Amino acid sequence: MTQYFFYFLSFLAIFFAALVVLSKNPVHSVLYLILCFFSIAGHYILLNAQFLAAVHIIVYAGAIMVLFLFVLMLMNLNRDSEPPKSWQGKVAATLAAGLLLLVFTASIKGADALPSGNQPDNTVGLLTNLGKTLYNDFMLPFEVSSILFLVAMVGAVMIGKREEVSE
Amino acid sequence: MEFIIYKIILISAVLGLTLLVAMYSTYAERKVAAFMQDRLGPNRAGPFGLLQPLADGIKMFMKEEIIPDVSNKVLFVLGPCIAMVTALMTGVVIPWGPDLIIGGTHYPLQITDVNIGVLYVFGVVSIGVYGIMIGGWASNNKYALLGAIRASSQMISYEVAMGLSIISIIMMTGTLSLREIVEQQAGAHWNVFYSPLAFIIFLICAFAECNRTPFDLPECETELIGGYHTEYSSMKLGFYLFAEYINMFISSAIISCVFFGGYNFPGVDSLGLSNNIMAFLHAGILFGKIFFFIFFFMWVRWTIPRFRYDQLMNLGWKGLLPLSMVNIFITGIVMYLAGKL
Amino acid sequence: MNALISLSVLGIVAMLSEIFNFKKFLYSLILLGLVAAIGVNVMEWGQFQLWYGMMIVDEFTLAFSGVILLTGFLWFLLVADNHQDKAHISDHFAISLFAMAGAIVMVSYNNLSMLFLGIEIVSISMYIMASTQKNDLGSNEAGFKYFLMGAFATGFILFGTALLYGATATFDIQKIGVFVTEHNSELPAIFYAGLILIMVGMAFKISAVPFHWWAPDVYTGSPTLITAFMATIVKTAAFAAFLRLFITCFSGVELFWNQTIMIMAGATILLGNITALLQNDFKRILAFSSVAHAGYMLLAVLAMNNQSGGSLLFYLLAYSISSLSAFAVLLAVANLKGNTNVQSFKGLAKKNPFLAFVVIVAMLSLAGIPPTAGFFAKYYIFTAAIANNYVGLTLVAITGSIVSIFYYFRIVIVMFEGDESTEVTVGSNTKALLVICSVLVILLGLMPDFLIGLLK
Repeated sequence: MTQYFFYFLSFLAIFFAALVVLSKNPVHSVLYLILCFFSIAGHYILLNAQFLAAVHIIVYAGAIMVLFLFVLMLMNLNRDSEPPKSWQGKVAATLAAGLLLLVFTASIKGADALPSGNQPDNTVGLLTNLGKTLYNDFMLPFEVSSILFLVAMVGAVMIGKREEVSE
Repeated sequence: MEFIIYKIILISAVLGLTLLVAMYSTYAERKVAAFMQDRLGPNRAGPFGLLQPLADGIKMFMKEEIIPDVSNKVLFVLGPCIAMVTALMTGVVIPWGPDLIIGGTHYPLQITDVNIGVLYVFGVVSIGVYGIMIGGWASNNKYALLGAIRASSQMISYEVAMGLSIISIIMMTGTLSLREIVEQQAGAHWNVFYSPLAFIIFLICAFAECNRTPFDLPECETELIGGYHTEYSSMKLGFYLFAEYINMFISSAIISCVFFGGYNFPGVDSLGLSNNIMAFLHAGILFGKIFFFIFFFMWVRWTIPRFRYDQLMNLGWKGLLPLSMVNIFITGIVMYLAGKL
Repeated sequence: MNALISLSVLGIVAMLSEIFNFKKFLYSLILLGLVAAIGVNVMEWGQFQLWYGMMIVDEFTLAFSGVILLTGFLWFLLVADNHQDKAHISDHFAISLFAMAGAIVMVSYNNLSMLFLGIEIVSISMYIMASTQKNDLGSNEAGFKYFLMGAFATGFILFGTALLYGATATFDIQKIGVFVTEHNSELPAIFYAGLILIMVGMAFKISAVPFHWWAPDVYTGSPTLITAFMATIVKTAAFAAFLRLFITCFSGVELFWNQTIMIMAGATILLGNITALLQNDFKRILAFSSVAHAGYMLLAVLAMNNQSGGSLLFYLLAYSISSLSAFAVLLAVANLKGNTNVQSFKGLAKKNPFLAFVVIVAMLSLAGIPPTAGFFAKYYIFTAAIANNYVGLTLVAITGSIVSIFYYFRIVIVMFEGDESTEVTVGSNTKALLVICSVLVILLGLMPDFLIGLLK
């Protein structure tokens, strides 16, 4: 049962991800990306990580993508405003992406016989366990990430603030 | 199998009740407005005008349906659908009452008890923005777009303060499951007494999330004609309006559950009634609280004028957000002093 | 760890100075704080600590933290006379201090999650700092380009980290190292894919060819102060992180990656130096020379022996202080002439013999000519590489440094041409910086044994 769900969700995720790239209208791309995020949230639930799933939806689908949509709607992008890409660029991009795909597919081969062998703890995604891991084992990264957010916030305010015109 | 049938019955009941309450909220709104303004309000359709919502509904369905020619048709239809669906989805995690016991089997009066109930509610609410945004954009009308953008930025801004305000409750209860939060408030141990600041912040944010006055800027008529639903007509408009009332009902339910003990009321447990009757009595108590908050929403609507947009943003980011953070600190300190950490 | 704490606190103090209105003391406060941090860092020498298994304080950490703190201190000396944007001064200071804190995280991580955080702190600070001159198109372009490319590279690092975790079930780099040596012959393909992805991401951060395309544009477009920061502190942190990762985790599979890095190093040296020859803008020359120097430093990673750490440390310090004094003079000249063209240095030797002397010392050091620090830096790195049988690559590197002499000396020659120049004035702080840097460059060149003996 879980396996079928997995394949179904994976199919959806890849399908919507492909639509993100293929759709001509950027607003549609964003909407497909949201659907893609939902399929990924489904994967989290399959992995017994409900907290991550919920946070993924709230943060990515609920906040970040809204801001994306925001910008796109205000900029009113359309097909004409996109500069045409050169064929060399297209060929190079296809080649690079194809090679990357090849490497990843090849790397999956033999992944089921990993020598690490230790079974992952499938209850770590539950809320209490996640909290304990975050505040015990990963306490330091958790705290250091606050510096990261501070930098990002200061920077956002600094760049976003309207300058008083002195001239 | 029995389980599934029970769940289907429960889901239908909750759905039906939600729609019914939302329907009569429209009626109540006009009656309350009339009461506040010393008028009679609707009194033609049926006794006391009780059939007015039905009449309104029929009118909505019969109106001509206009889809603007230049708009994106799929998204134009999708907008109100999302608004409606997300509004209805939240009811799933609300515990309407204690378990029913029929033939020794427990039947919880809650569709599902997710262990991340509170987060689920936030997730669904955050998706609700898309209904408005997509609808406003697909209308291809600048007023609709402005309304949509106002709505989404308002909802995102207030969601932050809302989420932070509820953290103090989660700190105290130690769980995200709404059922457990309600059960911990048995008797008169309501969270509102322990964390009144959180309640006030949450309440204000709930007004903003539902786009209710004084924060109904997305549909501010004087500036934006009809706001995000300017181009909508017929039942699609009805869906948007209806979703707003459902949201109001659901937020009242959440406020009751998180802060006012949900289906608990001091003294009810000592009445000595049989279990199933008690369950329904408890559900009735919850509905009583919900109706009070719905009335409160309307009360405020006809009392306080609309904010200006910059006032709204200032209140959200400079007022409520720091306040809710202070609240988290206070809660932490008090819990530490009380030896609960 | 103490350095990290003191830098974070300093950063927060810098932010608060805006609110509590002590901006005018802020600058001296930061200088004092940095001196204190250097002092604490020196006091810790010889200790070994593991913080929650996430950060490791050993001699490697302390030595590279020392370089970062020292360079940071010198950089702040440069800031005093060249900071134009008075309105945002506390924000700028806070971000640069946080960036230094991130750099400290990058040199002391013991866990891949910390590495990622460190890289992100440094990178995001740099994206912001690169685009601080809002009215300047070049600065905007630099910030945007850096952001897009950098975010992409971080994505590679993250993806690689995920694959490594999938293969080894740990983020702890020492455990990964143990795992690699224990399962040397049966490592899954997913591990190698992760290794390559991390390598690509890190190569971007150190601007090695073919992932160097962002570097010249970003270095040229950013405000010169920020370019100096990027070329010195960020580079130090990135290289220390690179070396620690490869020595701790991947030394067991050296044969898998050494060919790739070898080609990368050779290409970086040749391309960086040859392209630098064709430039007319001094800032752009320095940018390409920074790319080329990344190539030399890759030799230390390739060497994979007990000389790697010491030689990389020496090289980074020599390179950082030489670049800083070059950037300081460039700033002074550019402030007067309004552009960073090589020709604007014309006649500097006549009017400002002191500045000319500083530039000569810096250029000698960057080119690797005795008796400056740069010579011994190159010498140690080359001997370390030869000890691990990279003779061919070392020959390429030597060819590269010969090529580099041409463009470094071009600037020296220009300084002695003509005499129509007006006098360039520099502030006292910059003067102090120039004196310290030049003295250090020469001292390190005369007595290299002290520093190289630190890390064995």
